[in-house]
Amino acid sequence: MSWFRITLHRSAIGLPERTRGVLAALGLRRRSQTVFHPVSQDFAGMIMKVKELVRVQEVDAPKTDAEVKAERQFAPGFWVEKRGKEVMARRGGGGRDMN
Amino acid sequence: MSRALLRSVLELRTPVTRLPPSFLLPMRSIPARFFNQTTQIIEPAQTADADADAIHATLTAARQQLVQQQQQYQQPQPQPTPKKPRLPTSPSLPTPTGPVSESVRSLLPILAAQPGHYITIHIHGQPYLVTEGDSVRLPFKMPGVEPGDVLRLDCATAIGSRDFTLQGAPYIDGRLFECRAIVTGTEAEPMRVLIKKKRRCRRKTHIRSKHKYTIMRISELKIRSDVSDL
Repeated sequence: MSWFRITLHRSAIGLPERTRGVLAALGLRRRSQTVFHPVSQDFAGMIMKVKELVRVQEVDAPKTDAEVKAERQFAPGFWVEKRGKEVMARRGGGGRDMN
Repeated sequence: MSRALLRSVLELRTPVTRLPPSFLLPMRSIPARFFNQTTQIIEPAQTADADADAIHATLTAARQQLVQQQQQYQQPQPQPTPKKPRLPTSPSLPTPTGPVSESVRSLLPILAAQPGHYITIHIHGQPYLVTEGDSVRLPFKMPGVEPGDVLRLDCATAIGSRDFTLQGAPYIDGRLFECRAIVTGTEAEPMRVLIKKKRRCRRKTHIRSKHKYTIMRISELKIRSDVSDL
């Protein structure tokens, strides 16, 4: 089953009530918001109504909001290998607590 | 007899006299008190209501109510647990599994054999060109890390020496190098004062800010010279 990945690219300010209603039915409230809908005639018709405002992709599986956000973010680029307390404990020194 | 007594008195005194003055004593000796350690003070309310009830209801009912109220006040208040920042403890990029390219296989030993390497590491997408032994002041305070923590830096876009550069696309395979940094502390900038003033109004607002930055030292940069098993 494939899904439409729909992103609102242009704002609906100043557009007819009918167009805004279609966006609301798709679940798009703000620009660059992304929603996923199954590929069907209903959603294809809705996308056709607002095709000037949205960007559409066909994907295999929907993503959650957190996953969509993670796409936009950079990898942290680091990970903690050893905590400072462990290093001090291994050396046998009761180092001052760094809290 | 009197001498022994005197000595015992002196022995009692010496530990007190040998202590340095109080301002030299470490701060640890003073019990630290934090905001979340003080118990919440709840004043018993509804006394007027209780009196009114006591007038109207029977004495036993009032007693029961009082006992219930006491039990209610004696219940321990749930302490809000401080939210700990989650630190990444696993590599931030998925480890590539495929074989390395032929050019890397042939040229990486030459790069590794050269003296003095630099590396462009990326932390939260920001590049830092560093060599081993460098001290880096990050433009933010890394939440949750403490001095002495060993960080493994695994996102790099370039590793090079004087003659060779290994360029990633966009990142270099994490199996080809090992880069570590030790958190050395936190630094603070001088206090900034921003004066906000509106026209035709004498009122000025001073807005103060003091940012903190994490300092870390690049403790290790190793480039793998033997890639025959990759």
